[in-house]
Amino acid sequence: MKKVLLVTAIAALCSHSVQAEVNISGFASVMGGKLTSGTGVPEFGLGPTFLANYPTVGVYEDEWTFKPDSKFGLQMTADLTEGLTATVQLVGRGADDFEAGFEWAYVSYELNEHWTIQAGKKRLPLYYYSDFFDVSYAYLWVRPAADNYTWQIFNYTGVNAQFNYQLGDWAMSGNIYTGREDDGENKLLSEFFGSQPVREIWKDIIGGVLSFNRDWLDLRFTYMTYQNERYSAGVPVLWNGKNTRRGNFAGFSANVDYNNWLLLSEVNRLTLDGGDFDTYLISAGYRIEQWTPYISYADFDSEGEVHSTASLGVRWDFHSSAAFKFQFDDVTDDGYDGLQVAGDSRAITLGIDLVF
Amino acid sequence: MNWLKVMTLTTAMTVTSAMAEVAVIVHPSNAATVDQAEITRLFTGRGTTFSSGSKATPLNLAESAAARGEFDSKVLSKSSSQMKAYWSKLVFTGKGTPPKELTSDADMKAAVAADATAIGYIDAAAVDGTVKVLAKF
Repeated sequence: MKKVLLVTAIAALCSHSVQAEVNISGFASVMGGKLTSGTGVPEFGLGPTFLANYPTVGVYEDEWTFKPDSKFGLQMTADLTEGLTATVQLVGRGADDFEAGFEWAYVSYELNEHWTIQAGKKRLPLYYYSDFFDVSYAYLWVRPAADNYTWQIFNYTGVNAQFNYQLGDWAMSGNIYTGREDDGENKLLSEFFGSQPVREIWKDIIGGVLSFNRDWLDLRFTYMTYQNERYSAGVPVLWNGKNTRRGNFAGFSANVDYNNWLLLSEVNRLTLDGGDFDTYLISAGYRIEQWTPYISYADFDSEGEVHSTASLGVRWDFHSSAAFKFQFDDVTDDGYDGLQVAGDSRAITLGIDLVF
Repeated sequence: MNWLKVMTLTTAMTVTSAMAEVAVIVHPSNAATVDQAEITRLFTGRGTTFSSGSKATPLNLAESAAARGEFDSKVLSKSSSQMKAYWSKLVFTGKGTPPKELTSDADMKAAVAADATAIGYIDAAAVDGTVKVLAKF
């Protein structure tokens, strides 16, 4: 999973050099797919499309493509000893033509056996799979259902405190974070939902995650509040006459891994400017040696924007560091009043996820 | 679908063919006692101390070592791929670091014999006086 290299790192503040142990690890997915049918949205002039990934605008169309779900990531962690580490993660996604960028860059300090403080750029831990969305090897499907993971902002820069306690038979862990994200030209809002460059700002972010684990049961609670500010072609967007609006996000997830049965679920609500955006996901799988067939259903519901995805697939752990996956998705877009997303679609995706 | 059956059968045979006993070992001076739940906690990064409160450093065998698969399935009740998926999630979200890996029973014994905080495991047949056995599975 990792290669340990001994490198000599020159500490910026010291004139002498120190030896830091650097761990290099990584992940990759090579996934190809295509539509088997789709309606598109004629009133927008959008042809048949399966929007597999909202924030990066990963779309499958009639021709085979490897772009939407293929990606690679490389993580380097320098252990500066005495509880201090520095981590960077470079991620290149097919949806961005594999232009790699620093997705994560943070320093981490272990205060004691229970608490660790981190500062820098990380992924927002909103939904259950948000912060390891790109590490597809770590979960069952080709991707967490697009209907849940629709939000245009997925990183933040700030401070994070995480903890770990044992309460009898329960392991309790979680984190509290604060920060902001200023996305100069947001891909989803600029390219998919509009044609103008949109600058999207989430500021005054304050959030927390609390997880309880016991044997085969995993429960997770998540909450976040933020202020949204948006500029379309440089002009502030106004909501009820104001240039900011508050969003409050809350979610709960319960996962079971018992006797080779997997039951995965999450339910979330974002309240933005008085409107509710509700999402849920439910999935079941059964492990037969290296094979895990699964089904899942995910739903998004707000005033006007209504869509769901039913999926069927299989994961095959054919190698100790790699899994083959095949998935069929059936999207129903019941949006109205001009709030359709990409219309109905059916698509197949297959390929390999790995970690090293 | 015949190839699928063959695949499943092959897997089933590989799993049942290795039945060696695994011994969980610590430094001879370590007076701690552990049960399976506590070993699981230490080897999944959810705990960092022995019941006595002293620091614990879990050491894993590499996947190439026979006892690794035995340990994962008998003690942690997971396959090695499940453990890899579990650790991937923690490693790439900055929430944990998997135990250091050693390539053989001999390396494991030497590492545990040299570190009072270490806890590791080896094929029970490889145990000698340099380490103390806490449990066998």
